[in-house]
Amino acid sequence: MRKLTCLLSMLIVVLFSHAQQKQLSGTVTNKTTGSPLQGVTVQTKNKTVTTDANGKFSIEAVAGETVTFTHVGMKKVTITAGKLNTAVTIEMEDGTSDLEQVVVVGYQSQKKVDLTGAIAVVDLNPVKNNTSGNTMQALQGRVAGLYIEKDGSPNGSNGRILIRGANTLGNNDPLYVIDGIPTTRPEVFQNMDPSNIASIQVLKDASAESIYGARASNGVIIITTKNGGNTNGKINFQLNSSISSQSEKSMRFKMLNAVDRGKALWQASVNDGQDPTAGYGDIYKFDWNNNYANPVLNSVTVQPYVGGDHNTPAGNTDWQSVMYKTGLVSNNSFTVAAGNKNSSLEMNFGYLRNTGMLRYTGYKRLSGSINAITRSFNDKVIFGLNLRVANSDETLTARDLGGAATTNLAVTLAPTIPVYQADGITYAGELGAGYSDRNNPLHMQDLSKWNNANRLSSFGNVYVEIQPVKNLFFKSNIGADNANYLNKVYTLTFSEGALNRTTNSLFYDQNHYLSATFSNTVRYNWDLNKSNHFKFLAGTEYIKTDLNYQTTKKEGFALQTKDYMTLSAATGNTTVTGGSTGNRLFSLFGRVDYNFSDKYLAAATIRRDGSSRFGADNRYGIFPAASLGWRIDQENFMKKYTFISELKARVGVGRVGNQQIGDLSRFGLYDTRYGTTLAQLQGGFWEQYMNIGTAYSLAGGNTGVLPSGFVQTQAENAALKWETTDETNIGLDFSFLNKRIFGSLDYFSRNTTGILITPPVASALGEGQNKTVNGASKTNKGWEFVLGYRGKPVGDFNYTIQTNFSHFRDKITELPENVRPAYPGNLVNTIIGHSQFDIFGYKTMGLFQSQAEVNAAPTQIGAGPGRIRYVDINGDDKIDDLDRTWIGTTLPKLEYGLRIDASYKKFDISLFGSGVAGRTGFDVYTLFNNLMRSRENVGPGVFNGWTATNTNTKTPALTLKDNNNETRTSDYFFVNTSYFKMRNIQLGYNVGAISIFSKLRVFAMAENLFRFKSKSYQSPDPERIDLDPVPIPKTFTFGINASF
Amino acid sequence: MKKIITTIFITSGILFFNSCKKQLDYKPTGVLSSADLASPTPDQVEGLVTAAYAGIGNGDMIGPIYSNWAYGSVRSDDAYKGGGGTGDVGEIDAMEHYNLVTPSMDAFVSRTWKNLFKSIGRANVALRAVNSLTDASFPNKKIRIAELKFLRAHSYFTMKLLYKNIPIFDETASSDDILKVSNVLDNDASWNKIAADFQFAIDNLPATQPELGRANKYAAQAYLAKLRLYQAYKQDATHHVTSIDAARLQEVVTLTQAVIASGKYSLSADIADNFLPETENGPESIFAIQFTINDGTTAGRLNYEDGLNYPHGAPQYGCCGFHAASQNMVNAFTTDANGLPNFTTFNNSIANLSAATVDVRLDHTVGIDGHPYKYDNTKPFSNSWIRDAGTYGNFHTMRNQQLATSSSYFKNGPFMGVAKNYDILRYDDLLLMQAEAYIELGQPANALPLINQVRTRAAASTGKLKKADGTFASNYNVKPYTSVGWTQSYARTALQWERRLEFATEGPRFFDLVRWGIAEPTLNAYIAIEKVRRPFLSTAKFTAGRDEYLPIPQSEITFTNGLYKQNPGY
Repeated sequence: MRKLTCLLSMLIVVLFSHAQQKQLSGTVTNKTTGSPLQGVTVQTKNKTVTTDANGKFSIEAVAGETVTFTHVGMKKVTITAGKLNTAVTIEMEDGTSDLEQVVVVGYQSQKKVDLTGAIAVVDLNPVKNNTSGNTMQALQGRVAGLYIEKDGSPNGSNGRILIRGANTLGNNDPLYVIDGIPTTRPEVFQNMDPSNIASIQVLKDASAESIYGARASNGVIIITTKNGGNTNGKINFQLNSSISSQSEKSMRFKMLNAVDRGKALWQASVNDGQDPTAGYGDIYKFDWNNNYANPVLNSVTVQPYVGGDHNTPAGNTDWQSVMYKTGLVSNNSFTVAAGNKNSSLEMNFGYLRNTGMLRYTGYKRLSGSINAITRSFNDKVIFGLNLRVANSDETLTARDLGGAATTNLAVTLAPTIPVYQADGITYAGELGAGYSDRNNPLHMQDLSKWNNANRLSSFGNVYVEIQPVKNLFFKSNIGADNANYLNKVYTLTFSEGALNRTTNSLFYDQNHYLSATFSNTVRYNWDLNKSNHFKFLAGTEYIKTDLNYQTTKKEGFALQTKDYMTLSAATGNTTVTGGSTGNRLFSLFGRVDYNFSDKYLAAATIRRDGSSRFGADNRYGIFPAASLGWRIDQENFMKKYTFISELKARVGVGRVGNQQIGDLSRFGLYDTRYGTTLAQLQGGFWEQYMNIGTAYSLAGGNTGVLPSGFVQTQAENAALKWETTDETNIGLDFSFLNKRIFGSLDYFSRNTTGILITPPVASALGEGQNKTVNGASKTNKGWEFVLGYRGKPVGDFNYTIQTNFSHFRDKITELPENVRPAYPGNLVNTIIGHSQFDIFGYKTMGLFQSQAEVNAAPTQIGAGPGRIRYVDINGDDKIDDLDRTWIGTTLPKLEYGLRIDASYKKFDISLFGSGVAGRTGFDVYTLFNNLMRSRENVGPGVFNGWTATNTNTKTPALTLKDNNNETRTSDYFFVNTSYFKMRNIQLGYNVGAISIFSKLRVFAMAENLFRFKSKSYQSPDPERIDLDPVPIPKTFTFGINASF
Repeated sequence: MKKIITTIFITSGILFFNSCKKQLDYKPTGVLSSADLASPTPDQVEGLVTAAYAGIGNGDMIGPIYSNWAYGSVRSDDAYKGGGGTGDVGEIDAMEHYNLVTPSMDAFVSRTWKNLFKSIGRANVALRAVNSLTDASFPNKKIRIAELKFLRAHSYFTMKLLYKNIPIFDETASSDDILKVSNVLDNDASWNKIAADFQFAIDNLPATQPELGRANKYAAQAYLAKLRLYQAYKQDATHHVTSIDAARLQEVVTLTQAVIASGKYSLSADIADNFLPETENGPESIFAIQFTINDGTTAGRLNYEDGLNYPHGAPQYGCCGFHAASQNMVNAFTTDANGLPNFTTFNNSIANLSAATVDVRLDHTVGIDGHPYKYDNTKPFSNSWIRDAGTYGNFHTMRNQQLATSSSYFKNGPFMGVAKNYDILRYDDLLLMQAEAYIELGQPANALPLINQVRTRAAASTGKLKKADGTFASNYNVKPYTSVGWTQSYARTALQWERRLEFATEGPRFFDLVRWGIAEPTLNAYIAIEKVRRPFLSTAKFTAGRDEYLPIPQSEITFTNGLYKQNPGY
């Protein structure tokens, strides 16, 4: 086999033929507005180029050859190349299907009209002005079948990204392929400047993905960058600049002020039969009748000083307003492009700065890219280079001494704690009874302001493509995905109220990741005759990935200044850890495309992947796929149906693989842990105090170097093998009425087997007995529907409406019994038939109204009048673990997006909204607005708590003890979180050519302007299901897009 | 042109062939693989033994395996949870109320089970490795096997006190076998299985180990004595003590006698020596978990299990005020004019500590306003150090705490670790075990000198208790018992009282009550009065037949697909 693979690279025969070819160049403009069109695909039989920012292009052509011009939302234009080397002007009209576009289908490109797989081409225009700095975020809701969750962090980091749902139980991240180089690091894509991206495609089904075999099972996102184009030697500049203000005000939780919290605490204490003064007398003075049977509160006053400390007068602090400010985002990108008929170059510089809404946080990123291409020997040899570098610095949410995020404390910290002591400078903190042992979040964030995570990422490739004979192409591509990470964490000593830290330290966490890809492909386009067209592709790919990491912590700095605190200035303990890991992939692949008379299309691919993550016996996986397409509209019998513009049926089947496990998962491993705590392995708060070491003072000394042993950390599984997903996809692309109505419909069914999981095991097996196994199966079915309408122009008014809908439902079909405990469910009611994202918990049935009702009800520990009543699912007359059941799913049943683009003369407007339906989510505010918290602040909803006289309420009787365990997972908290959000409204004005500008557009944009959500969901934002993430802001932006 | 093309092909061809050769090789770095340990070297075996010792110290705050402050002290009448209100680490509050404990509690119930089996697993892994070596290649083979069995038995013993019905297996059980071992086993038979390991250790360990941290013969004898004492009190399926086995008690006498006769151990002059790092591994310590600091590890190999239990408002500590002494226990320290406990009247009223006479050990145990805390008279305990007086009163605890200035103390974030060893077996415990056996054997006279030995030492332990002005904070009056009226029944009461005071807040209390079969009456009587003083206890209730033991973790029952049977009542 190896022999064969190696031979492949030698298959290339060096042969040349010479044909007379000349340049065809010109400008493409929008017929309606007259402005130049960027990104138009210009195509001859052998060549494909795109127009630059000024609408200019240059392409090789032979006289008499057909040249087509295609662009999203524009009618296709076809010309016959006449007089070459003379500039032509092409005018394009609005209103054509985007089926004409050229898309990348894996190591080669194809016209969209010829596609047989499920591939979504992303329309880039509307995401160009994006304030998050993360192109991925901007795609949220815009692509059917692409599900994205996000938060409001200044670095624009993403939560979950799913293509067609969750197929596996572990990592569901898609694979990114940027200019032919694969990466699993989403940040490479997220850092890209949209103005530098030529196209983004989402490969959704296995027939499309399987050419990427390994790692493609979660879907593939393909990004192609721009490379200048022919500007006839002229240098073109393009500037996109915007400034935004971000505010989370509309997303705040309403919390109690100082006095009201006292009232709530009084009520809860009295309900519990506890003296409120005993619990909270240090904070409040309660004036009440001391009659627990018939309590009457006369007044509550806040004690004047926190913990009796005269330096700390009690406050009435709204911590959310203390912690947040308006964030400013400036986003500038500058592009230089130049080229002639042989070579072109595009350079892009970007600078993004987000001052952060959470105080003392922020993000800035400097990025640059260079794309160059040069052709020689009559275009028989093409050399290309793509390189992008991004350097970012971020300071994010800090955590307090006890590990609580400042974002969380901004909601929950007691309002009686002031921000500052009486001197107005010293941070105040909790002191005395009745408080949580939590810190002042502003203080914590201030102390962390020197923290900085620096990411330096370089990603690029060089390639050469040779056409030794006509239609035979050899391409060799070397790429690297290189990332350096350095996170500095300053831990300063402080004293704040009763809490303090007495040791300062500096912590460096750094790693270096390098993934090198070397691929070689040969392709041949063979036109057998006028009707039968073949395309062949064969190739190899080798990927070598290594990660080296180390951490260094030094304690004991004499001075606490940023300049002084470097590692060598410390005099205390030193801790250093480090190691390395890596993996290797080697693949062979081939593809055949067949086209009969542009009516019948077929494609077949096969890929064989080998991975170092699997043992010698199971190293290789083979991933085949095939797809068929039928362009029904091309049939003669369809000609009479003139209302049909395009109609194509697609069907595809295929298999893809997954190897998303640890590099060393198959080995049984023993580790030396010299005094290691669990936090060093998996992070976490309590884990800092969990000894898992192997060193011990056998000699009985109290200090000095210890003898150390080793311990098993992982059990061996030599039989570990590839996880595979089989998929069937059926699709229909259509457009009607002169392409005014357009869209596509896809149905898919996936079956994943041998899912890689690392289940927990019975503790009796001992330490380090977990192992990764191929232990489960899942199915996933769903559909996507895209429908658009291009309105007939009314005078100068043009508009287009596009919608997308998608649905998926994944189910676990097989899961060994010993694995089930890792997932929701119990012995009786297992997860089989459910998704791992389904919620397993108790059902509630209102509140107990009387003791008689409690007595008559099934036994429930902690039950009482005013307490939440749980449903006895199994009817055994007691409420216990076996009464839990499935109460919803955190993934939506339906995701949808709606976009309206319109223009009137020089104005353009676009509206974009998206939403989900049929999703159940955790309503975090219920925890604070309906239930009492003994140490944390609560919302005003608690005043509607159940009492003997206030029985018509959903809020249970206030208690500080929660003997009824009401915070358990139940449908009291997990409610319908369907929503629709107006994500983006953009209004632009095209100034046109003015002064030095060849094109100038100014725009104003509003993001997250309003939203609709389910009434049962109390929190302001259904996308923020816990308190730690920074809220998603409302954003207003003003900016320009200029070319000159 | 041709030159360029040729160069490209040759270059790519070379690159390609290179990648073909070593295409998919990747070996782990920085670790040993199972293959490396298939036939271990003596050095590697010693490493596994060391790791097994480390295992007995690898507990944590929410899954403790050696400190019984939550399981034994808070669950008894000695102390309250403390901290910031009842919801702060609510799992301990559930245990303090008894009736709120559930099998699905991850913290404590499930974590402790897990951590103990990790420790047992390390011993078994090491045992398999030792067994694979010959005596010739590994001269210490027998001794190491004996040490490992001692460590394994220690973890099983701890587990048995907490959960009672546990699966017991040895190093010969494969992973598949282990998953077939049920926790349903006759109580006596399970004690005997653990005892067999201690017996092996007694038979094979030397009297003195060159390394102080290792278990020796006497540690094994003392531990077996402790086990036999628990075993002597026969329990039925619902934990009711049905009879006391005289033969087992006789074994306790014999075993403890052997340790005493060795002359290797004695009571320290001052009981404080048991609670200070400067005097650890002293004459009273028979076996201790060794902890270290400044040992080249991140923060030291520290005991964090007591890390929440420091005075909260004291600036030198800052957190977290857990483990507050109960009023009942403080009352129990009061003495009468004869220097003997107020057996029947102690809890009739709240002790007036400025007037009453008390046992010296009170000031070794409880943080009291104005009294030196942890023997430091420059920073006396203050009510301002109390975190939540409204809920938990004004008493704190101190035995397993160290001063912030101690070389063994380390503050890590909000919590504290100490390098002070954790004593598992102490000579005072051994003396009182023997005394208990004599009393139940109907030989109370033999118990009298043993108990008085402990009391005399207590009375003499005042050297570190002076206030800054040279006076004592309390009026001490501790006297030995006299033989007058020293009946079996009186001696039993005296023994039980002595154990409470000698090990106050250290954790044996709850397990003593369960062993003696008096947990339910003692604790419900305690709650009845204490809940008036501390209303947070108003819903607490001890249910006999259930609350003597923790539930088997629900997760483990699920992991074994229902093989493990839940303890009664849960």
